[in-house]
Amino acid sequence: MKFLVKNNLASLQTWRYWELLHVLVMRNLKVRYRGSFLGVYWSLLNPLIMTGLYTAIFGATFASYYGNSVLNYLLAAFTGLIVINFFSASTSQALASVVGNGSLLNKISLPVSIFPVSMIAANIFQFVTGVLPLLVIITLINSKSLVNVLALLFPFLALVLVCTGIGFLVSALYVFFRDFPYFYELIIFVMWISSPIFYPSAIVPKSVKPFLGLNPLSPIIESLRQISLSGAPPDLNLIWGALLSGLIILSLGWACFQLWRHQFMDLL
Amino acid sequence: MEVIRLDRVSLWRRTQEEFSYDLKKTLLSILEGKYRKPAKKLVLNEIDLVVERGEKIGIIGANGSGKSTILKIISGILQPTSGTVRVRGQIAPLIELGAGFDGEISVIENIILYGVLLGFSRAEMRNRTQSILEFAELEDYALVPVKALSSGMVARLGFAIATDVQPDILILDEVLSVGDESFKHKCKQRIEKFWDVDATVIVVSHDLGFIKESCKRSIWLDKGQVKFIGDSKVAVEHYLNFTMGI
Repeated sequence: MKFLVKNNLASLQTWRYWELLHVLVMRNLKVRYRGSFLGVYWSLLNPLIMTGLYTAIFGATFASYYGNSVLNYLLAAFTGLIVINFFSASTSQALASVVGNGSLLNKISLPVSIFPVSMIAANIFQFVTGVLPLLVIITLINSKSLVNVLALLFPFLALVLVCTGIGFLVSALYVFFRDFPYFYELIIFVMWISSPIFYPSAIVPKSVKPFLGLNPLSPIIESLRQISLSGAPPDLNLIWGALLSGLIILSLGWACFQLWRHQFMDLL
Repeated sequence: MEVIRLDRVSLWRRTQEEFSYDLKKTLLSILEGKYRKPAKKLVLNEIDLVVERGEKIGIIGANGSGKSTILKIISGILQPTSGTVRVRGQIAPLIELGAGFDGEISVIENIILYGVLLGFSRAEMRNRTQSILEFAELEDYALVPVKALSSGMVARLGFAIATDVQPDILILDEVLSVGDESFKHKCKQRIEKFWDVDATVIVVSHDLGFIKESCKRSIWLDKGQVKFIGDSKVAVEHYLNFTMGI
């Protein structure tokens, strides 16, 4: 009997979490796209413009690393950019989410983790409606296989795991250190430069390369490119690598968040 | 049946002056070996409290004596450092109405958002939208973003959402000054309706007359300690004597 009650309580909490997530994500998206007629497609504009810019500047120089094709360079830049864009947008928004809702947390009893999670979820929605269709088309043209299209799910899942983990970590750090966003801007820049987005990883000196391997986004970008651009069937090793990096980051972020959560309320 | 029970509840919080909001400074102080753990202050000291169902309880005391903190402990916003808290039933917090609103989205969307934050379901809130709009007298503003409302209207909306359903436990933290005179009257009526039925009500107020009149039992808090618990008239008398220095 006691077990039943406990079970019931847990499912009630899950249900409440889901309801909260739903309204918070809706609010988020509504506020973001209020009055802009392009709506969700604004989120496509940024990676497209950046891709065009990188291709115009570096395309000709780096084409030799991409089978002498500027188009290949363009696609590689695009797939890298959507990953780093998703990362920087979702984690920066998650960073401010707990502190931003501090006054609310002081008035109503809510699960704190809902705020960073809702930011990530809003970005997932945006990605799925904006960038994903384009990515699916690119994948279909290159691989002519539905398996590759379905396999896109895995690097994206890994990306979501990494972003959620980092989101937990940075939203918690911001509660304690209000100057943290300045440091985080720097960290995002480091992530940006250290993942092979607009340059071929072959130009990086051997002595520096191992450090780039520490970037959790590298295996994700690699797997995404392999699936969408190579035309070969999905490489399971790359997928596992990406998922593993996601799981590690998520567990780390979650552990820190849980450990520090009890001190939040004194500082909000 | 008891609905609220606090057993030897104590709460330590970081003091406001000790906030080290700065990563740069914290890192420097660690490097210099000057880092010390942030100081903590005892905000609630071994509070015991049992509230029976349907009781109306007043909490009085000077500013900073821990009145609002006790409400936060009961609502589950703060976790006690030691001791246990047990609460049975749904709590409606009426602490500074309107904290959960988003100015950018419409009144209707805010009703659903705020309702879900308070613990209701979306479906339930959709059904109740009309009666909430009616009570708040905002039917004509349903699709207007909340930032376009006057502050009185926002307060009315908050009150209407939080009290649309009879809660098991109602928490009032100095909120009876909502809107214009006619709306104040409406609020009072609604709260009096709760008062008559079986709802448990906890009031924090500096209006000692109101506490004496409407609560049977009161708690007098001073520096996080319960100084007196019992009949409201006696509690108010003790509190007044104490502050007058007698």
